[in-house]
Amino acid sequence: MSDFARYLTLDVPSLLAILAMMAVTYATRVTGYLVLRNRALSARATAVLEAVPGAVLISVIAPALTTTNPADLLGLAVTLAMACRFPMLPTVIVGVAVTALLRHVL
Amino acid sequence: MTATALPDDVAPDEREPGRSVWAEFRRGLAAMAPILLGVAPFALVLGSQAAMKGLSPLEVALMCGLNFAGGSEFVAIELWRSPPQIALIAGMTLLVNCRHLLMGASFAPHLRRLRPWQAALVLFVMADETWALGMDDARRRMAVTGRPGISLPYYAGLAVSLYIAWVAVTVLGAVVGPVLGNPHAYGFDMAFTAVFLVLIRGMWKGWRRALPWPVSLGVAAVTHLAVPGAWYVPAGTLAGLAVAYFVAGTETREAAS
Repeated sequence: MSDFARYLTLDVPSLLAILAMMAVTYATRVTGYLVLRNRALSARATAVLEAVPGAVLISVIAPALTTTNPADLLGLAVTLAMACRFPMLPTVIVGVAVTALLRHVL
Repeated sequence: MTATALPDDVAPDEREPGRSVWAEFRRGLAAMAPILLGVAPFALVLGSQAAMKGLSPLEVALMCGLNFAGGSEFVAIELWRSPPQIALIAGMTLLVNCRHLLMGASFAPHLRRLRPWQAALVLFVMADETWALGMDDARRRMAVTGRPGISLPYYAGLAVSLYIAWVAVTVLGAVVGPVLGNPHAYGFDMAFTAVFLVLIRGMWKGWRRALPWPVSLGVAAVTHLAVPGAWYVPAGTLAGLAVAYFVAGTETREAAS
């Protein structure tokens, strides 16, 4: 079998697993929307939904805080300080560069 | 830049003249660019891990293109056997991606004016990054126009760049194989954290509205240390929402008295 043909192999169990993942994931994506699409929400429910983005984003990055590696913690502190004052691009560039530098130096 | 809260940086309603569909699309591409810097190394690692588990580049492309949810793909590859245990992989995919339920619910008011097929596509490519930037932009637009709604071409720019990058770079990882080192050594993982921190700063609406944040952070961090897997995301999110529910109740009572 040539290399290129090997790239294109697709067996049935793998395809079924991938299709199952697609179905489950798409269901999670549409269900919240379908349930709430045509509802009038109370002020309290609206306030809770408005809090979703912040709560999700903070939870997703929380593991960054659980490290005991001093380079990672210092890098995180610098990135946080940048994020409080500067726009996206400088924050990303400085955060990545300082963290990479600290990991090599410390 | 999407993250600077300057008045001239706010996207006008798509019906207003002076801002073409193409300009909005390019604004989306530009907003996603710094995130791709952080995503690409992980896509390379995912692709090379998948190749080591015996998936062909075509199978990697199908998984990433049809599922398009990175966290669940890492978990699926971790669990992958030959042949794969479909029920196990589907169940873990559901667990990792159940945060989409809340994300879709909070996105719903901004998608109300779309046609059903448009909403179906928007939701198909709703990942942490496209949703976060899309919500950020919709919130900014609402401050100007007074009504909810996303800029569809802007969102398309976000989604197209992330989708192409994710599928192409995972396939690249599957082809070039495990010759690459650990992306952690280069600091690229901090790009993701940096982007999210800037987005969170943009959501600042005073101390009271920020009360859920430290609770989410603490609960998610402790859960991450104590429980294996991705449980820390739903745990931290729900803890923060409980606080938001309580704070909103206090506000309603104060307004009534």
